[in-house]
Amino acid sequence: MRLATFQGGVHPFEGKELTQDKPIRTYEPQGDLIFPLSQHIGAPASAVVKKNDTVLMGQVIAEAGGFVSANIVSSVSGKVKAVEPRLTVSGMKVPAIVIENDGNYTPVEGLGQKRDYTKMSKQEIIDAVKAAGIVGLGGAGFPTHVKLMPKDPDAIDYIIVNGAECEPYLTSDHRQMIECPEEIVKGLKVVLQLFDHAKGVIAVEENKPDGIRNLQKLVEAEPRIEVVPLKTKYPQGGERNIIYAVTGRQINSTKLPADAGCIVDNVSTIIAIYHAVCENTPILTRVFTVTGDGVNDPGNFRVRIGTMISEIAEAAGGLKDTTKKLISGGPMMGMAMATTEVPVVKTSSALTCFTQDQVELLQETACIRCGRCVQVCPSNIVPTMMLEAARRQDLAEFVTLHGMECMECGSCTYICPARRPMTQAFKQMRQAVMAERRKQKK
Amino acid sequence: MSGLYNVSSSPHVRGADSTQRIMFDVAVALIPAAGFGVVQFGLYSLLVLLVSVAFAILTEYVFQKLAKQPVTVSDGSALVTGLLLGMNLPPSVPIWIPALGSIFAILVVKQFFGGIGQNFMNPALGARCFLLISFTGIMSDYVLDGVSTATPLALMKNGETPELLSTFLGTHAGCIGEVSALAILIGAAYLLIRKVITWEIPVCYIVSFVIFEILFGGHGFDPVYLLTQVCSGGLLLGAFFMATDYATSPITKNGKYLFGILLGVLTGILRIFGASAEGVSYAIIISNLLVPLIERITMPVAYGFKHGSLEGKQKVSLRTYKAALTLCAITLVAGLALGAAYQATKEPIALAELAAQAEAYRAVAPGSEEFEPSAELQEAAAGITAEDGTVAEGQFGGIRFEDVLNALDASGNKVGYVVNVTSKDGFGGEMTLSLGVDLEGVVTGLEFLTINETAGLGMNAKEESFRNQYLGTAVDSFSLVKEAPSADNEIQAISGATITSTAVTNAVNAALYLVSSVQG
Repeated sequence: MRLATFQGGVHPFEGKELTQDKPIRTYEPQGDLIFPLSQHIGAPASAVVKKNDTVLMGQVIAEAGGFVSANIVSSVSGKVKAVEPRLTVSGMKVPAIVIENDGNYTPVEGLGQKRDYTKMSKQEIIDAVKAAGIVGLGGAGFPTHVKLMPKDPDAIDYIIVNGAECEPYLTSDHRQMIECPEEIVKGLKVVLQLFDHAKGVIAVEENKPDGIRNLQKLVEAEPRIEVVPLKTKYPQGGERNIIYAVTGRQINSTKLPADAGCIVDNVSTIIAIYHAVCENTPILTRVFTVTGDGVNDPGNFRVRIGTMISEIAEAAGGLKDTTKKLISGGPMMGMAMATTEVPVVKTSSALTCFTQDQVELLQETACIRCGRCVQVCPSNIVPTMMLEAARRQDLAEFVTLHGMECMECGSCTYICPARRPMTQAFKQMRQAVMAERRKQKK
Repeated sequence: MSGLYNVSSSPHVRGADSTQRIMFDVAVALIPAAGFGVVQFGLYSLLVLLVSVAFAILTEYVFQKLAKQPVTVSDGSALVTGLLLGMNLPPSVPIWIPALGSIFAILVVKQFFGGIGQNFMNPALGARCFLLISFTGIMSDYVLDGVSTATPLALMKNGETPELLSTFLGTHAGCIGEVSALAILIGAAYLLIRKVITWEIPVCYIVSFVIFEILFGGHGFDPVYLLTQVCSGGLLLGAFFMATDYATSPITKNGKYLFGILLGVLTGILRIFGASAEGVSYAIIISNLLVPLIERITMPVAYGFKHGSLEGKQKVSLRTYKAALTLCAITLVAGLALGAAYQATKEPIALAELAAQAEAYRAVAPGSEEFEPSAELQEAAAGITAEDGTVAEGQFGGIRFEDVLNALDASGNKVGYVVNVTSKDGFGGEMTLSLGVDLEGVVTGLEFLTINETAGLGMNAKEESFRNQYLGTAVDSFSLVKEAPSADNEIQAISGATITSTAVTNAVNAALYLVSSVQG
């Protein structure tokens, strides 16, 4: 059978064997927990607690600061130590709530209360998701309740659970397919409850055969749900790519998945929806992979949101002295970190540690016009010409070349034999173009 | 642990391909073809290759040192250029040819235009064409086993059929690296497997060339003819190794299709309608020049946009039209300059031709000093030439009498005739002979005033061994034989150039016929 896939893409070293067979271990935090007010796309949340307040596990400590925004929930019980700027993965200090863990994990009232989603109205389900502060846990961090409220719910005919996990080294979604596949299916059924005409698709890259088998067994009796194996290729899990692989529909950057009749949620997000709706449990924890050759005992951990990454690294046997590079997330789209003294946020999927920094070792040379970047670009644009425009700071030319269609997946930069740092330049250009557009709107 | 770690923008891992590795792969893929050439043509051809490579690398190194640029010879691109140029040379060229060619390729075509990735045409082919134009004789003299031999393409142009198997295996004359289709295909397979090249350009090139040959080649769908055409003349080497040169081929997918088709058609035009049997090198460098325009019109439609929709189209900017206009202007200026040069040199060239004629006349009519137009011959020539231009009812093929003269000795006595006669049946078009005939009707000399036959074949008509066969015997007419002649009136045809031999013999016979008509 021909596997569903998209045009373009690359095959980076997967590195998943380091952790894919390691069961998820639960790690309880030792030190303070930090909750940045901005861990999602959209307006930052606004704090509703102040210094020295006592908080319970599951209590909302910051409320959504607008329509596209999300609540933030305390993952422990304890005392608010401070509301002040703290360092995050991005290397910037952003306003955050610091909570001293009392170690009792005293729940807020009603936490864990079982609910039957089939008896809930659509609005009640969406409200539950919103209250739980769920955002896209795959990394983008788009508030999930917003996704669940498209303009025309009847036009939605596909709910796609993104289980591609195409990013090298990451195994958190894979482990959840092995350890709690029924929660994925239940979460999907909750979402299907909202969309009467939709069909559920769980799309998984075929490098996770055990995950695919587990899910297939579970959906045998589900007429509205199907498991679709995908070709293992990066960036299969990109939203536009997985929509194409599953439905054959194409959307560009100016459109939303809902314009193609699709809603796409990551595996972890779907599980979070299940917990929020059926068990009245907001996002308290997430699965976090610590991996790479720079860590002594790679593994998958269930950690509380707000836990310091340095603690988790120690739990994974500590970093090797020779470690040179730390990445929040995977090597293709993850963000390099200068320090581990930053907290796990909702969108943190992994800590990847390398003893060798390939970027540092490789010298940029002249473009030889081999065209590999054009072949691999999933957006079907011409990266090498875009880089020329970027080097001239020619915003207009960059836009003409459809630079804004770039999804920053890094495939062009990965494949480039001349080692040209294209993705970096495109990120800067895209930001410059967006800043320019904002200025013109005003 | 509070030390800081490296921070950089994603992605943090890179693929295994590097410029160096790609160039190394190309060099490896060239080894079968180059190795075959060396085995076939001997160790001297290895020296040609080595000199070519050495000078390519040296030129790049010296230029970059002098220009205070970072030295990039280690990326292997100069090595590939040198190797390709060497493989595109005849095996017996003087050793300064590869040296000069490599310097031209690297210095003029590559470095002057910005170095790797910036050259506007394939450096090796640019240099080959430069050498072909500058040193045509040397560059089209293909020696095999110590003898000048025609290439399969030249044979085909002469209407002969080279052996297909020999053409495929490479046991024939040609450039060092382009003779063996088999060895080239092995290298091409390696490049495709290693994903150094993609299939679009070579496949479109070969397919469109074959279609063009079927339509216009004059042989229709003749598999042997078509296969021989594809396997010879460097087409495979060009299609897989030179048309796919990254810097000078389009990077867009549709551009690659278009580029391949353009190459096929151009090669077909040059081979079928051109004066030379070859066409690959020129087809590729001409197409190279069109790559920026091809890319402009074949920009891909960004993902998620509709084909043909306004927003999805990457607008062809005004710059493209400017570029096209500039190109037209340059072409126009170059054309006018060429025309002016032609006008200015026309007269001196005509004078030189006259002097050469008198020289030729003296050579064909030994013992004569002066020449005067011969009224009786002119009258006779007019008598046997019909109104439609046929001479003596066409028994000598397409014949036209030119100047006919009486040859006079120093004291003004007529000692013979000089008959200038043109045969229209040469392989390369018309040829004009100047023929000396004494009063007994014996040919005293034969010179070619114009001849445009195939090097290594028809051009051998100029050799004395062929010409002298006509001299010294009084016969009514000569006839052509393939083996050694057994009678005075038999002429051994030039091997592989029957058409040329026939044309020459017909011209001579026509002249004898003319002279005998006045001698009565």
